[in-house]
Amino acid sequence: MSRPVLVRREQALRGGQPLSFAIGLVVALTIGIVLLLGAGHDPVAIYERMFVAALGDPDSWSVTLNRAVPLGLAGLAVAVAGSMGLWNIGAEGQILAGAMMAAGVARIGEGWPGPVLVTAILVGGVVGGSLWALGPAVARSQIGVNEILTTLMLNEVALRLVQWLIHGPWKDPDSFNFPLAPMIPDHGRLPTLFGRAHVGVIVALVVIALFAVAVNRTAWGFELRVAGSSGATARYAGISLERKTATVLVMAGGVAGLAGGIELAGTADRLTEGISNGFGYAGIIVAALALMRPSGVAAVAVLFGAVQIGGQSIQTMGVSSSVSTILQALILFGAIGAGVLSRYQVRMVPGDPGDPGDPGGDGVQVGEAT
Amino acid sequence: MSDIWKRFPGVVANAGANLSVSRGSIHAVLGENGAGKSTLMNVLAGVYRPDEGEVRVEGVAHRFRTPADALAAGIGMVHQEFRLVPSFTVAENVVLGAAARILRRQAIEDEVADLAEQFGLATRPDRPVWQLSMGERQRVEILKALWRDAHILILDEPTAVLTPAEADELGVVLRAMADAGRSVIFISHKLHEVTGFCDEATVLRGGRTVAASVRVADTDAGELASLMVGSSPMTTERPPAHPAGPPLLEVSGLSALGDRGLPALQSVDLTVRSGEIVGIAGVAGNGQRELCQVVAGLRSATAGTVHLAGDDLTGASPRKLFQAGLGYIPEDRLGVGLAPRLSVVDNSILRTYEAHRRGPFIVAERAEAHCVDLVERFGVRTGPLDDPMAGLSGGNLQRLLVGRELSGRPRVVVAAQPTRGLDVQGVKAIQDLLVEARDEGAAVLLVSEDLDELLTLADRLVVMHDGEIVGEFDPTTAARSEIGEAMIGHGAGVGS
Amino acid sequence: MNEASLIGLCAATVSFGALLYLAALGEMVSEKAGILNLGVEGMMAMGAVTGFMTALEFGNPWLALAVAVMAGALTALLHGWFTVVLGAEQVVSGLSLTILGLGLAAYLGKNAVGRPPGAVLAPVDWPVLSDIRWLGPVLFQQSPMVYLSVLAGVVVWFVLSRTRTGLALRAAGESASTADAAGHSVVGLRLAAVAVGGGLAGASGAYLPLSLTPQWAEGITAGRGWIAVALVIFGAWKPGRVALGALLFGGTLALKTRLQTFGVDFSPILLSMLPYLLTIGVLVVISIRARNRPSPAPASLGIAYRREER
Repeated sequence: MSRPVLVRREQALRGGQPLSFAIGLVVALTIGIVLLLGAGHDPVAIYERMFVAALGDPDSWSVTLNRAVPLGLAGLAVAVAGSMGLWNIGAEGQILAGAMMAAGVARIGEGWPGPVLVTAILVGGVVGGSLWALGPAVARSQIGVNEILTTLMLNEVALRLVQWLIHGPWKDPDSFNFPLAPMIPDHGRLPTLFGRAHVGVIVALVVIALFAVAVNRTAWGFELRVAGSSGATARYAGISLERKTATVLVMAGGVAGLAGGIELAGTADRLTEGISNGFGYAGIIVAALALMRPSGVAAVAVLFGAVQIGGQSIQTMGVSSSVSTILQALILFGAIGAGVLSRYQVRMVPGDPGDPGDPGGDGVQVGEAT
Repeated sequence: MSDIWKRFPGVVANAGANLSVSRGSIHAVLGENGAGKSTLMNVLAGVYRPDEGEVRVEGVAHRFRTPADALAAGIGMVHQEFRLVPSFTVAENVVLGAAARILRRQAIEDEVADLAEQFGLATRPDRPVWQLSMGERQRVEILKALWRDAHILILDEPTAVLTPAEADELGVVLRAMADAGRSVIFISHKLHEVTGFCDEATVLRGGRTVAASVRVADTDAGELASLMVGSSPMTTERPPAHPAGPPLLEVSGLSALGDRGLPALQSVDLTVRSGEIVGIAGVAGNGQRELCQVVAGLRSATAGTVHLAGDDLTGASPRKLFQAGLGYIPEDRLGVGLAPRLSVVDNSILRTYEAHRRGPFIVAERAEAHCVDLVERFGVRTGPLDDPMAGLSGGNLQRLLVGRELSGRPRVVVAAQPTRGLDVQGVKAIQDLLVEARDEGAAVLLVSEDLDELLTLADRLVVMHDGEIVGEFDPTTAARSEIGEAMIGHGAGVGS
Repeated sequence: MNEASLIGLCAATVSFGALLYLAALGEMVSEKAGILNLGVEGMMAMGAVTGFMTALEFGNPWLALAVAVMAGALTALLHGWFTVVLGAEQVVSGLSLTILGLGLAAYLGKNAVGRPPGAVLAPVDWPVLSDIRWLGPVLFQQSPMVYLSVLAGVVVWFVLSRTRTGLALRAAGESASTADAAGHSVVGLRLAAVAVGGGLAGASGAYLPLSLTPQWAEGITAGRGWIAVALVIFGAWKPGRVALGALLFGGTLALKTRLQTFGVDFSPILLSMLPYLLTIGVLVVISIRARNRPSPAPASLGIAYRREER
């Protein structure tokens, strides 16, 4: 008497993640074809256009890479917290907070020399994002307030704060009463590398690499990973969970804030309410697809950047740019579905499986209780 | 129940166990840990499906697939871990799963109150369960079974969470139920309760029934105790004795609270000297776990001190204690002692990662060398060292853990259930390591539920009961039955 | 500030309150069963677009509402499939649902932008009652959606607290293993709750183009789904308190466009932060009080359940 049982693997299959990612992409593109056909478009032409616009030549690469910067940093902000089992849903707000602080720095430092101003803007972004994460960090570590909900709420608050600034105190007097913040000074903009790609690409890559190394190779990262594995094990190993929780969330905020600073000085050139444009939320998908590993964030971010830039390009063909939004979500859903295959194995078991020594062995527990 | 077999991977929990319970009686099921009591009861309650054997209720053979099937046949079980919704009221918990389509709060509270009164169960139907004491929660569990009209009620070590007064009350309630024609199956370690209010007893050992439906009136606690403990079929040779040195671990007047905030340790005095293994025997849940945790710095003491090689380290952090020479093998390997999702290398440096640092970095080569050293010295069979720890078998997990704790030549070793769940080879390997540590001069505190293991390894044996040390024995001379009685609170000089 | 504008404010408070209440009620049902669905904004957008398109096509607002409810429920079931059946992370799946719903709604509604509505839900004019001074215009000349939201609130309250199904559903959210042991299907209960939650979010979304702002525009939901998520916490997972919170938060939405007419010199944008800040405050209070009593949040919220294979 034996029957098949879906048993959770302790660790996803090696190579399972890229595979499920690819399956997710295929699923998304297939559903996309159905949608496009339904609206009377030629899917092949549209996908070709998307590809060319995003990855066709160095110029399109430069735009895609620019877009990958906020996505990758937001993904990193989620993944760093996620390495410790925390959910930072607040990257969107932290990006906005970083952009606000960076814009504030740009206002003050108009007279500073270029390199100083640029550096100050980026540092301002980091500080702004960190400050925005400080509240949830302290609340979580000291009184156990669920960080998912606080960081989520603060996203909406940050958005309102940006709106208030550009409708009020920071409204450009020369904007003919449009709610626009003034442009940042020219010498405060990020230098470009090639095409339209700016220095932010390198900054982001370095930061992602630093965190990937920090999480995987340093004592700090070791403690982080142990704490993410089990709180009780962390205590046994002599790690202070409270301090770790607070610092990790604040650092995650700083990383997202840096994205805000880079967007301000690299692509937006002025504080706008759309400066984050959902990067923080897309970052959560990026991090989830990278299995919360900082080292995987960059590659996923470039792919998502390509989907977004490609999506923008098809508007000229009369296709809604929302196609790219839909594709991004579908990639994730497809990958989750495929991921089940890599996280579980089918095992034939005689009669009653169950190990008296490990009663929870077959139970799936995803996510933390509030 | 006749000839029940139940196998788990690597373990035969029931090997032809029999149980026959007559209507209107309170029937005790006795046995040591691992004797197969809980498995047998879970088979009866539909939680496990037996590999072989037959369950008959009132003459009708049943094959239960789920607990709901068993309930439908009139069998209800009260598990040790209560299955209650803390935020629900008592009445809501009782009727959950068997409620009328429309709930009228007052009506169900009245009905539950009536049911409770019928069996003399004091309860407050309108109270949320989280406000209740453990005893009250247990009564809610019993009410749940009665609400479903269970004729056979199984209670798995019901008195473990009760105060003595509550346990006595429970006895009265169970008698009322038996008098009303229902049958109660009572799993216990505590012989005075069995002799106090059970009618019959069945004793299990090694998954088999060794005494079936003995009339309690015709026997006594001593006879039951010797049936439970039996004699060991496997006699391992004692390692040669070793002269003990100066005291390295001194615990005095130590008290602490358990997880539920009740006193779990009461003024424990204990000394372990260099070159000796002190074994702690006792029924699970009598303070052994808490004692280890306090000594290892994972639980705070409410009174008393812990000295390590003469230094007062009461309340020191786990890291400080480790650095002071304390190796700790926790009971919960995967939840506390190891990080299963991290690699074998990471796990091997869990306690010493600070020592492998250069600047902010952990030097991978050094960590790996340490890991390779552990793996080789302690014979851990692993796949690639970068793979997650969880891929290792139980025995190899424990070898790595024990190896890690012993590799720094600790002065004191606290080992909690170090061989539980391991296969024969694994048990032998871990035991040898502990003896080796002792021979090298460490003071070893060994907690085990396996009396044979303690009798084989320990140089001195103390017995814990109800958070206190209730007796000390010389393992070379002590009688098993004597130790067994002390474990259940019946030993010389132990009041109960 | 005159009487007419004050009455206008109160009436708008009730309308916006009902909008938020429907969505929050749905989220509450889902969370009560243990499933956090951060896709409210997406489900609302799907309800809004399908409702508006149906009204355009068939000219029947009630059919439009029914389609919107279905669309919301189906969208939610996607989340249900991934989180309840496959055990995926609820946070990630829910946020993706928001992104998917907003994208899909924008795509489907592309040709409807700027078109006049095919049908609207006309305000109900209650005989006699609507003529009462003050109360009439505020309470008895509202869109049918307002009365439906009240009805939905009563039904949800009744089902959750007074029926066997509600008891089982709450048990699935508080302690899934206990509900399972009692013989209830946790998967079934959770899927049903998620679908009902999606249906209510769909209805809330449809309220916008069918009544409140009778047209379709991308981003019509304007973050109200997030307010609904906040509202559930603010109302401590209780239908009555959520209703009060809905009026309070609805009031901030109503006041936002009216501050200047009242001559109040306070930024309407800052005012719109209030719901979120209040909710954070409530979260902190809940956590502090959770030291000696259980949190009002369902204890199994966010935790996937799979029965131990035995």
